[in-house]
Amino acid sequence: MECFHCLQPVPRGVNLSVEYKGSEKTVCCAGCQAVAETIIEHRLHAYYEHRDVSQLQETPVLPDELNDLNLYDHPDLQKEFVRHEGDGTEVATLTIENITCGACGWLIERELMRLKGIHKAIVNVTSRRLQVSWSPEELKLSNILRALAGIGYKALPFQANEAEQQYTRQRKSYIRRLGVAGIATMQVMMIAFGLYFGVVSDLSPDLQRFLWGVSLVFATPVILYSAQPFYAGALRAIQASRLNMDIPVSIALLGAYSASVYATITNTGEVYFESISMFTFFLLTGRFLELLAKERALKFATNRLTLLPKLASRETAEGVESIAIKQLNVGDIIRVKAGETIPADGELLNPQAQVDESLLTGESLPRSKKLGDAIIAGSINQHSPIRVKVTAIAQQTVLAGIISMQDSALAVKPRAQQVIDKIAGYFIAGILIIAVITFFSWWWIQPEHALWVTLAVLVATCPCALSLAAPTALTGIIHRLNRDGILLKGADVLESVKQLDKVCLDKTGTLTEGQFRLVERQDSIDPKTVDHIVSGLELFSEHPLSVPLSQLSDTPAKFTHVSNEMGAGLQGELDGEVYRVGSERFIQQWHPEFKALNKYQVIVASKKQVLAQFRVEDQIRDGAAETIEWLKENGYQPIILSGDSEPRVHELAKELGISEYHSGLKPEEKLAFVTEQQQLDHTVWMVGDGINDSPVLAKADLSMTFSKASDLAQTAADVVLMSESLNQIKVVIESALKTRKVMQQNFTWALVYNVSILPVAAIGMVAPWAAALGMSLSSLLVIGNSLRLYRK
Amino acid sequence: MNPISQSADLVTALLMGLAGAGHCLMMCGGIASAMGINTKPYHVWLYNLGRVSSYMIIGALVGGAIGFFAPEGGYTTVILRWLAVIFLLLLGLYFTGWFAGLVYLEKAASPVWRKVQPFAAQLRNKPGIFATFFAGTLWGWLPCGMVYSALSWAALSGSASGGALTMAAFGLGTLPAMVAAGHFSQFLHNFLRAQGVRTAMGVLLIIYALWSLLTLLKPFFQ
Repeated sequence: MECFHCLQPVPRGVNLSVEYKGSEKTVCCAGCQAVAETIIEHRLHAYYEHRDVSQLQETPVLPDELNDLNLYDHPDLQKEFVRHEGDGTEVATLTIENITCGACGWLIERELMRLKGIHKAIVNVTSRRLQVSWSPEELKLSNILRALAGIGYKALPFQANEAEQQYTRQRKSYIRRLGVAGIATMQVMMIAFGLYFGVVSDLSPDLQRFLWGVSLVFATPVILYSAQPFYAGALRAIQASRLNMDIPVSIALLGAYSASVYATITNTGEVYFESISMFTFFLLTGRFLELLAKERALKFATNRLTLLPKLASRETAEGVESIAIKQLNVGDIIRVKAGETIPADGELLNPQAQVDESLLTGESLPRSKKLGDAIIAGSINQHSPIRVKVTAIAQQTVLAGIISMQDSALAVKPRAQQVIDKIAGYFIAGILIIAVITFFSWWWIQPEHALWVTLAVLVATCPCALSLAAPTALTGIIHRLNRDGILLKGADVLESVKQLDKVCLDKTGTLTEGQFRLVERQDSIDPKTVDHIVSGLELFSEHPLSVPLSQLSDTPAKFTHVSNEMGAGLQGELDGEVYRVGSERFIQQWHPEFKALNKYQVIVASKKQVLAQFRVEDQIRDGAAETIEWLKENGYQPIILSGDSEPRVHELAKELGISEYHSGLKPEEKLAFVTEQQQLDHTVWMVGDGINDSPVLAKADLSMTFSKASDLAQTAADVVLMSESLNQIKVVIESALKTRKVMQQNFTWALVYNVSILPVAAIGMVAPWAAALGMSLSSLLVIGNSLRLYRK
Repeated sequence: MNPISQSADLVTALLMGLAGAGHCLMMCGGIASAMGINTKPYHVWLYNLGRVSSYMIIGALVGGAIGFFAPEGGYTTVILRWLAVIFLLLLGLYFTGWFAGLVYLEKAASPVWRKVQPFAAQLRNKPGIFATFFAGTLWGWLPCGMVYSALSWAALSGSASGGALTMAAFGLGTLPAMVAAGHFSQFLHNFLRAQGVRTAMGVLLIIYALWSLLTLLKPFFQ
């Protein structure tokens, strides 16, 4: 049975429904029920008729979040993303995470227009963004967000970053340049056809001269305006002592233009205005397409830079409250869970802690901190929950850190690209030297042809196709994967997929859904007391096993001195007594003779006795079985690396048909396993989701995680899978292989073309117009080949 | 000497001056912009005019000496032409930083400069039109590889007037960089002084030198 709204399976025992067109439709949860009812009540049923049902609809409505939305009305926070227009309205761009199809866009626009005070709501489905403008007197931003949450969409304010705005500006300037080049080229080409093919027979010298003059008039803006990016690129390269393809391009363009102008004025020789106009137009087109693809990839990546009113847990007299970081004051005491980002600069109040400062320092190993040590905003708390006394409020630091992380991920060139850049450098040096030799040789033999032959060499061998080969394929795969809900943080995937032979998978939260339900329990004392203790202690954990346990009691116990042994469990103090919740091994440190019942994996104990044991079960993730099957068929060995106990891992391995599995692994043991495999010349991919996976995620040749994984895992991973299905692994591998193939084809073609046209051009067999046409066709072929990646 | 060849040599000298913009800024940018501060614009021009006058005097001396001492025609022109091309090549190599042969020449000339320098320093701080102009003329004697390369082309003319003219063309080429030194934006400064730009200029001069070399060789093969 599928949920009417989110299309996910309805859990057994749930009995909820909505009325739709006179019949009762089953839904999976109260969230979906509320959303569907709102949509139907607002007469927006068309949504259900037109939406794309091949993709699951996530419904992230949580009461807590609805409360937090008020924080977005805070003027300080709004300053960063709300723009005030002259007519008193306010404009903001919101990112909406779970837009899946055009129907979503329609639904959102309709729903928002119902609100009083909304002026405009425009959804861009591809970039998953909503632009909205409203009157602040009539409506608050939180109302808008709440209305969106009411129909099942999670929207977050978003601020386009510098890089993106720059791309937009560049795109606009390229459009103008392309327009000028396009129109002028057409005119010049028409005249050129007339001159070449004798459409006007018996061309009188005066008429010819006149036509040359007209061509000059049209070609001039192309050379002086449209081609500016090439000159700028060439000058930048020269300044940096590098060679790029803009240099031969600029020499060819300016050389041919000057010579043609000279020819027109003196009425001698030949003009090549059509060649240079065409050359400029095609080059610009190539650049423009590249820019568009990059912009699209960047847009998607920056969607993650939502200005979440990051919350901090502040200690007060009554307990712990959640407040916006903006509202923190110096001197406040905040709590930071394991795996969370530290929101403000402060002083450590625990005896010790491990923090990852790699965002700020680039140092990848976690740093140990002692009582009183400075903790920097933006670093990530690694192991145990800590308390921090705020010494400086540095909202900017956190944001800047995240932004810089994203930027650096985008800016890192794949190794393949670096190699290409180097090759292209040598290639261009070669071209320039050959051009000089060609010129000298022709000048020696037939000086009157020297200039034109040299220009033809420069144009024909322009390594445009070569330099487009990799970027176009790369943007192709980025786009393709984005569309499937896969975020690529770098292009390492292309490198490592070639040798890939082992795929390691974490169990909990990766092969399984990571959403645990309590199945069985065995108590030695009063269950109410156990619930009180367990829920109080598990509140400090981010381990998925802890979720059902932390909700056992409405009145969790208030523990002190809580510490988190990664992969083992939690320990804390309550009313002078020390308790532990965790694995069998962890409890055996206190009670060596204790044996847990079969399949029971969470044990509660005091120093004196074992209090209870729990069996918590987890479902196998969607697509796990097919994915494992597919991996094996294609020669990739799946391996389970789990911190969980042997019998449970064994059971899962048997069920999925995985022959190699390792259980009971600590994070460092997972890391050691992967390192060892790498030393044996295996290429290892890692799929994981937890904090304990982050070291091995960083170590693996390529790592994947889910969008719901911990901050730390997402920071470490190369690929983030937005959807919850494991089938995405297959998509990533297949796309990467296909992209490699396309890239190789591109390279082969570009090299073969350039190398074979060179001698022909050098002996003067290629007219400049033919050279320009050949170069352009060669580039278009490469772009066209890469465009195949965009198709399914 | 035929007029076409003469004007081609002038263009070469001009190009040498222009190509050296980055070099000039590196070596004399300090002096030039020090002059530009706290003075009226025409003082800067006067100062540079003084420098170019010195170049012209040196050019006239060299050209005149060649015309006076060296035998007319025949081998003299050929040898001088080879010398000029080699100097052009050396200048290109000097700009690119691949070979610093010209530095030895600069060093050889520096004792002269050591005698002149105290006067130059005194004069530079004195107000007045003549003092400024005169300070500029002393600046012209500063040891400079570019000037010596240009002189090899001035020698080609074989006459005092021709030598002065060649050096005037060269001086004209150096003017944009020196007169505007104080007014250039920081970006342009950085750009012109970047090693990559100087290398590119050097490569252009080398290519030009090689081309001139081919021109010299061609008659032997026809």
